[in-house]
Formats: sequence, structure tokens, C-alpha cells
Amino acid sequence: MSEDKFDRGTALTIFKNDRAEDVMALVLSLVIALLVYLLV
Amino acid sequence: MVYTRRTPWPLVIGVLVIGYAWLVQSGSLDSTIKWLNTGRLTGEMTTLGYVFGGIGIVVGLWHLVAPPKEGHFDYYFSTIAGVLFIMLVAFVVKWGLDPLMAKWGRELRPALGFNFASVLNLNYVVMGILAGIVIVNVFKVPAWAENGVRLSRLGLKTGVVLLGTLYSFAELQQLGKLSVVLIGVFVLGSVGVVLWFGARRNMPNSMTGVLSAGVGVCGVSAAVAAAPVVQAKSIEIAYTIGTILLFGVLCMFAFPIIGKLAGMGYIQFGAWAGTGILNSAQVAGAALAFQPDGIETLKVAEIFNITRVLFLPVIVLWLAVWYVKREVSAERVNLGEVIISKFPVFVLGFIIMFLLSSTGIFAPARHYQGAYFDNSEKAMVKKDRSGKAVDNHLDEKDVGTLKAAASKLTRDDQKAALARLIENRKIMSIEDDDILRGVVNAKVLGKEAGAVLTRAHRAVRHTAPKIAKFRDLIAWFFTFGLVGLGMQITMSSIRQAGGQPLVIGSVVGVLKAVGSFIVVLLLVSETV
Repeated sequence: MSEDKFDRGTALTIFKNDRAEDVMALVLSLVIALLVYLLV
Repeated sequence: MVYTRRTPWPLVIGVLVIGYAWLVQSGSLDSTIKWLNTGRLTGEMTTLGYVFGGIGIVVGLWHLVAPPKEGHFDYYFSTIAGVLFIMLVAFVVKWGLDPLMAKWGRELRPALGFNFASVLNLNYVVMGILAGIVIVNVFKVPAWAENGVRLSRLGLKTGVVLLGTLYSFAELQQLGKLSVVLIGVFVLGSVGVVLWFGARRNMPNSMTGVLSAGVGVCGVSAAVAAAPVVQAKSIEIAYTIGTILLFGVLCMFAFPIIGKLAGMGYIQFGAWAGTGILNSAQVAGAALAFQPDGIETLKVAEIFNITRVLFLPVIVLWLAVWYVKREVSAERVNLGEVIISKFPVFVLGFIIMFLLSSTGIFAPARHYQGAYFDNSEKAMVKKDRSGKAVDNHLDEKDVGTLKAAASKLTRDDQKAALARLIENRKIMSIEDDDILRGVVNAKVLGKEAGAVLTRAHRAVRHTAPKIAKFRDLIAWFFTFGLVGLGMQITMSSIRQAGGQPLVIGSVVGVLKAVGSFIVVLLLVSETV
């Protein structure tokens, strides 16, 4: 997959930069942690 | 640009996956599940099957009825088809290939003399990457799935953050000062040597960076965690993982032989294996091969191994600064600015999860990867699957079996631990539990008494359900991420990367193994 196939993000990620991807991973993990804490 | 490619495939995948979940639930696949020994996975097979199958059907129908229009919705919506495609492959890997390899490994063990699946680490990590590589190079990733493949790195990062939940301060408290210093020196030293070596051999900075983390810290997770910081390409992560695993296979055989030839004690060998072997699973394998009749070596090796994981945030930060300095003119770099702008937030997430886990909200604060010791009267009574309370104290017959076999023991600590078990009808401490697990591993008491000891062990060792759930989720995020990562590795990128990483990784691996061998022999006595 080449870079020019996508006009947003890069070939490796749909996010505009690493920080945005990191924050999304963190938010996703916290939501999962909350769900596990409440439901399991 | 419009990203959503209209296709019936999400609908097809949805129907297939829901159909599979229904077959599992109805019991039609019981014989296959029994053959593959995946009975414990039927819960997730039905849950994930219905969830992803349902998503597939809804998304597939949307594809068919609504023409895509450029915009945010189209951009993010277009990733779902790719996620479904990766998940379909991940299901095949986790529920099919992984248990199949484990089964073949067990069955061929008598003929080969070793379990090839566990020695070669043919688990979902390797199978996931390989499946992705085969798909992209043999069949190509379909155009409608391409945008979803770009979510694989998010999956890996989320897996690394959740990894923090498996550890707690309890491990830190177990560490001796020497182990921290020893590990620190070798972790930082290995990273430094790889960075120096890579620069001398003109390797790309991204390749050098990810390899240094993999060789220095703890293998697969470290490579995955460091990769985004040094902008590593998929092939570079795969090369690092391959180098670590291949080198680990060699170590698993060589370490126990060398350790015995050198006359190492349990603690010395545990310290050496925990420092010198790169991958966690292979550390455990070497420790058990060195001391099959007890777990003292394994415990020390695990403690050293965990210390390495705790260095992960430091190494990632170091690599962030190093990478920026190498890529930008060195004079212009302001260290404070680099740390603020480049610090990987997902590693901060790992630390947050570690702290949360240490508070005891997911499991008792003293847990070790979700397992904890509790022999209170309340904990000794557990409910079975039908909800009936079962008392797990040893009964008269169990005590009789143990008394009859007790004379076979020769070690005083083992005799004393067994005597306490017989007297109290339950294991009285973590130390006794460890000693008696060693007795079971050594198979000295015979099958029947061994079974009683195993039951007594299970009665006092509990697995926190929340941590078990986190472990499952981490495995899924890693499988998803690694399948997607494999799908980004083409044959041309493999040729471009060449064999350099394997050479440098192995040279540094050998240096680390030899260096730690000498230091352990000189500094580590039988108590750390």
C-alpha cells in the first residue's frame, strides 16, 4: 500500500499523526478497563 | 476522495461468522472443538461471532443500499470492512491454526523428543503475522479492506496499554536491588550497543530503533511499543520479532546445557536466563528445562523477566529522543521539547494501567499476572458450574494418599510443607505452595498423590476474572494488530530490509548472553 492511496493519515494509520493515534488507544483502553471493571 | 468501496463482502463475512457462532452454540461443532481442544474458547466463539457477524450484516447492507459520499463518515465507515476482514483471519488463527499447531506439537513430541510448536513459538503471534504476509503476497489485500488495515497499529498500541493491567507493585516489592541493577545495565547496555552497531552498519534509524528495543527489553511487546516512536515500517517490526524468536529458540536449548556444564545454582541460572534470553515464553521454557523438578529457577527467571518489562517506558522515551536527534540536526534539538512533543501517550497509558492494577481494583493488589494466593476459609469454598458450594479442603482419603506417599520425599523443606498440608488440610503459605508445585513437577510421589497436590494447589490459587478478561482482550488486540501488520509486508519490502537486522540482533543477543553469564557467575550467589 503506497502513501498516495490515502489523502488523510499515512499508509500505516488512518490518524493524522501519532499523538492522535496514541490518544485514541489510551481512550479505547480506558473505556475497555471501565467496562471490564463494571461488567466482569 | 471517497474511501468506501461498495462490496457485498462485509455481508458475506457477517453471515459466515454468525453461522459459525450458531453452529458452536448449537453443539454441531462439538467434535471438532473437542479434537482441537478448544472447549474453553466456546464462550468467546459465540460472543465475538454474534457481535462481529451482526456488525458485518449491518455494514454489508449499508454498503448495498447507501452510495458513499466524501466526508468524515465515509472515511471512518470505510475502515469497518477491513476490520471485519482482519477479524475473520484472526478467528481462523486463534480458533484454528493456533490450537492445531499446539495439538500437532503435543502429538509429535514422542517422535521428535520435543514440542516443536512451543519450541518454535508457533502461537497466534507468529501465525498472525504469517497469515497476513501470505494474504498480501499470494492473494493481495482487497481494495475494500485496505483502509481498515491501517487500524492495525491502533490495535497493537491498545494491546500495549492494556498490558499494564497484568502487572502490579507486588512484583516490584519482590525485586532485590541486584536484580534491578543487573537488568538495568543489560537492558540499557543492549539498547546502546544495537544503536551503535546499527549506525556503524548504516541501518535505517527506524530499523535500528525497533531492533534495539526488542533485543534490549523483552521481545515482542517491546518491539511493538517502540515501533511508532521510531516510525518503524511493518517489515522492520516483523524482522525484529523474527530475530528475537529465532535467537530465543537457540537460547532455549543452549542455556540449560551451558548452565549445567558451568555448575550454576537455581538462582544463578534463573538470573542468567531472565537477563540473557530475549522472549518471555522462552525464558520460562529454559528455566523449566534447567530445573524440571521445582520452580525456584522459574520464579527467579520470571522476576528478572518482569523487571525488563518495567524498563519499557524508559527505553521508549530514550528511543524517542534518539530518533529525533538522528533525524533532525543534532544541535537544534531541545530535549524538553522532544520529550513533550514525542512522548508516546500510549506508553503513559501502560503506566496508568499498571498503577490502576496496583491499587487492587482489578484483582487483589498482590496479584501476579492475575493469579493470587488466598487460603482463607471463605476462599476455600468455591461454587461449581451448577452453583453448588464445594469445600476444597482435603478429605480423609486425600490425606491417606498423601501420608502413604510422604516417605518418598527426601528434601526437608518438601517434607515440612507436606506435613503442614496434611495437618491443616489446605496449603498454608505461598512458599509451601511453591515447594509443593516443585514436588508435583518432579513426579516423585506418584500419580494419585500428585493429583491430590494439584487439587490442593488449585484450591488456594485463584485467578482474578477481570485480569483473565484483560489477558484475553490483549491477545485479541495483538492478533488483530499482527495480522494487519503482516498484511503490510510485501516481498519487495522483505528484500529491501535484507538480512542485516538478523545479524546485528544475533550478535548483540550473544554479547548479552555471554556478558550476563559472566556477571551472574561473579555477582549472584544463591540469594539475590
